[in-house]
Amino acid sequence: MLTISNLSARVAGKDILKGINLVVNPGEVHAIMGPNGSGKSTLAQVLAGRTEYEVTGGTVRFQGQDLLALPAEQRARAGLFLGFQYPVEIPGVNNVYLLKAALNAKRKAAGLAEVDAYDFLALIKQKMKLMQMNESFLTRGVNEGFSGGEKKRNEVLQMLVLEPTLAILDETDSGLDIDALKVVSMGVNSLRDPSRAVVLVTHYQRLLDYIAPDFVHVLSGGRILKSGDGSLALELEKRGYDWVQGAEVA
Amino acid sequence: MSPTPHPGRAAPLTPALRSFEAQWRARKPDLLAGLRENAMQRVLELGLPTTRDETWRYTNLRHLAQGSYVDAPEAPLQGLPPYALPSLLGEDGRTDPVLMVNGHPSLPMSMEAWPEGVELSSLRDLSRTDPALVASHLEPLSDADQARWALLNTALFEDGLYLRITAKVTTPLVILHLLTADGANNVAYPRVIIDAAPGASATIIEHYVERGERPPLCNSATHIAADQDSRIEHYRIFETGVNATHIDSLTVRQHGNSRCQQFTIALGGALVRGSLEASLNEAGASLDSYSLLVGHESRHVDCVNIVTHNARDTRSRQTARAIASGTSRVVFNSKVIVNAGAVQADSRQSCRGLLLSPQAEIDTRPQLEIHTDEVKCAHGATVGRLDPDMLFYLLSRGLDRETAQSLLVFAFLADVLTDMSVPAARAAIEAALIAQLPHSKILQAFR
Repeated sequence: MLTISNLSARVAGKDILKGINLVVNPGEVHAIMGPNGSGKSTLAQVLAGRTEYEVTGGTVRFQGQDLLALPAEQRARAGLFLGFQYPVEIPGVNNVYLLKAALNAKRKAAGLAEVDAYDFLALIKQKMKLMQMNESFLTRGVNEGFSGGEKKRNEVLQMLVLEPTLAILDETDSGLDIDALKVVSMGVNSLRDPSRAVVLVTHYQRLLDYIAPDFVHVLSGGRILKSGDGSLALELEKRGYDWVQGAEVA
Repeated sequence: MSPTPHPGRAAPLTPALRSFEAQWRARKPDLLAGLRENAMQRVLELGLPTTRDETWRYTNLRHLAQGSYVDAPEAPLQGLPPYALPSLLGEDGRTDPVLMVNGHPSLPMSMEAWPEGVELSSLRDLSRTDPALVASHLEPLSDADQARWALLNTALFEDGLYLRITAKVTTPLVILHLLTADGANNVAYPRVIIDAAPGASATIIEHYVERGERPPLCNSATHIAADQDSRIEHYRIFETGVNATHIDSLTVRQHGNSRCQQFTIALGGALVRGSLEASLNEAGASLDSYSLLVGHESRHVDCVNIVTHNARDTRSRQTARAIASGTSRVVFNSKVIVNAGAVQADSRQSCRGLLLSPQAEIDTRPQLEIHTDEVKCAHGATVGRLDPDMLFYLLSRGLDRETAQSLLVFAFLADVLTDMSVPAARAAIEAALIAQLPHSKILQAFR
């Protein structure tokens, strides 16, 4: 589904990614872990198509397409979803408008008719219930005045409505209390199926208590230093990132 | 009474001033003649403001000063009922508008159609029957540069509207200013006085539109007197055509615990200048001023607010949102003056500008002048382009770039729109705004 080969990228003249290789197959959940400044968020943003990040080398193929050749909006319509670490507040753009426009953009790209207004509202309400979100969400601006936890729930809600083929969730667990973490994890787990994949970018292991990954990768200094199964996360938790970084130096 | 040129005249007599003087000489003196003479003499003495004057720095009227003007026609449009005229405001839940053609009101034959608590008079009639009342709303005369055109209006208005509010009026009242020319180089002097009695409340919408090819130069002036405990929500919507020059002066005088919400919406005209001078004269007076300034194509919009706190516990809020596209220029200057004795004054100014093209320009300057301690005053001004984080967020959800940009532009204006309490007015203003924003078709689909 996703094949990243030797990907390098820089931002503001500084090299951040220095040759990333990663293969994600349908049905898999990958966790990318690493210390602050390792390049985790840059990788997520580059994959989503943020143009402030300059790709300096390598290739990314997504479902047979050259992902890097597509602008951000086409990547989204092709089934890629980025859950932001810091979702921006957009007062004046209604949450429901945005979701509807996003869903219709995707449907249009797939040659489908626009979603029926009644069906759409029913769908949103169902997903909101799952995410334990307040009805007032419907009338508010995008993330406007949301708490950190509400913003993250909203990211997952959007993901559930858009049903992406590949979801990249950038530190979706940060800033969540334990109850919110459970809700968010349940949302992500509800999307798991053999045709989809999830990439979790996270600093801490605790998210992986609720969403069991098939693979764990340690990103540091712009490279993936170590990959393994779920047990790698537990080992990291015990031994810290220095353990992996030290191993590389040795 | 025959005017004599002021001996101390310093200003060059431009063709425009010469023609204004000629208009004045041709006026039949009325019971306001002394006051009007003072006004005219001050204008002749000081001249019209130029870019050397503080509040006119960004707006050059040189081309205007070279023209010669004659009065716009008084009453064309026979047989055309007001509600058939182009109006931005919907038909639901309101009375017919009061039509003012080039400043001359067509008053309804019977007041029965009007909500209780609303009294309408023509200023021409009222100047005969109660000149002291009219004079009290024209004085004190100010010759400050931001009030110079209003001074000229005071000297030259032939008729106008006096609107007295004596009760809590729930139906919005619409004053439709229609500007129309007879082919000559016309000038019109619309004058409106809104007088709210103690405890009264009303929503008043002044809407300026034009008819015909070449609209008159419009020099309009409105005064709002808000007595104790009154509430006034006032809109002035500038929606003349692409050739129009419109200079509007609004003064607001507020007494104890009065509340005034004022919306200034600039949607039309080639050159639009709007001033707001508000005095919060007694404790508890509160003003919320909102400005939605849309620079479109080559339009020039210049708005200046001067808010003076003269009493304790007075409150003012100014919210301005300016958008400039094409080669347009938008200017917004606001000044808050807190005079001695206005302790516990609470004032906030927020001005944000959004540039949508490299050739557009927005100039904004919030100012504070404080002559007492114990006040709460804040101001902020930013001008920029669309926020890249917001744009990327929308793109990452699959919205195309044009839709994303349009939504963000519209969202930028939302702060002002959401505080409008008349749904029909809000909807109509939104629709008119959207029509002037890039990719308006996309936005229409979102409404």
